[in-house]
Amino acid sequence: MSKERVSRRQFLSYTLTGVGGFMAAGMLMPMVRFAVDPVLKAEAGGDFIATKQKVSELTAEPVRVDFTFKQKDAWYESEVTNTAWVYRDDKTDKIVALSPVCKHLGCTVNWNTDKEHPNQFFCPCHYGRYTKDGTNVKGTPPLAPLDEYPFKEKDGYLYLGKAKPRKGA
Amino acid sequence: MQKVGGKMKWIPQDVETYLNAKEYVDTAVIPIYSVSVGGDMKQSAAMAEFITLLTSHLERQFTGRLLLFPPFTYLKVEKTEKVLGDLQIWEENIVNSEFKHIFYITTEIEWRTHENEVDGSLIWLPSLPLEQMSDSQKMEMIDSQVKQLLILFTQKWHENG
Repeated sequence: MSKERVSRRQFLSYTLTGVGGFMAAGMLMPMVRFAVDPVLKAEAGGDFIATKQKVSELTAEPVRVDFTFKQKDAWYESEVTNTAWVYRDDKTDKIVALSPVCKHLGCTVNWNTDKEHPNQFFCPCHYGRYTKDGTNVKGTPPLAPLDEYPFKEKDGYLYLGKAKPRKGA
Repeated sequence: MQKVGGKMKWIPQDVETYLNAKEYVDTAVIPIYSVSVGGDMKQSAAMAEFITLLTSHLERQFTGRLLLFPPFTYLKVEKTEKVLGDLQIWEENIVNSEFKHIFYITTEIEWRTHENEVDGSLIWLPSLPLEQMSDSQKMEMIDSQVKQLLILFTQKWHENG
């Protein structure tokens, strides 16, 4: 006894349903991910991270502020420490929190370490320089100012958000 | 010019970054540690941890100028000549691929006697016992060590142009 054969019509309709299903899934998946994404992100990034820096202790001299948060790298969760250069601007009395990541190739910049150019941020890798407000000095490798952290004050302590790029000089 | 951020580790994204910015990244850093199996296993692991933390922090400071290679490891029981020979082959390959400066970082005291048998700079540091420390203490200590290395690196870069 031979099994019933699949007719041409049946075969085509099965195939089309199958392919159609894949296409629909292909279209829907990114949509679902897009909708769910903010939920996933909130956990990973967090909003503002506490530092040990008291806001009242900030002066016009930039200080290094380290802060630590958890980051997931594939299945490996690790503590990541970020750094900010923070000071209180004399003129405006505002707090400025700059990212130490050089806009050239990502080295860490330091405050006031180049004897020939005092009171600037200096990158030891390719001698990039930034003025105190983070503006890149023309003629040095970086092409953009240092990123700036949004910040908050809570119970007297400084909280930092995610560093944002600024417009070039 | 390519503008990049982030890291220079031995992972595909970073290596691609490196390939795009080759003219700026002229320094190779190679951690060196031995592996012992048996009685000294724990000490061996402690050394590896120290070197790993130190070099990854170093890489953070100098992201745009150096590429952190995977560690050069060997068995503690292996013959010195063989290990040295292997390292020299690494060096030859790395020099051929346009790295101008090579730094080896190790806590193994034996390497000090072979400093002159490689062209790169061999940096020896004592391994510090991280085990008893809190995370913030660890970071502070590694940071101070890296500051020392920073001076050394800058010097070497000046010397060799």
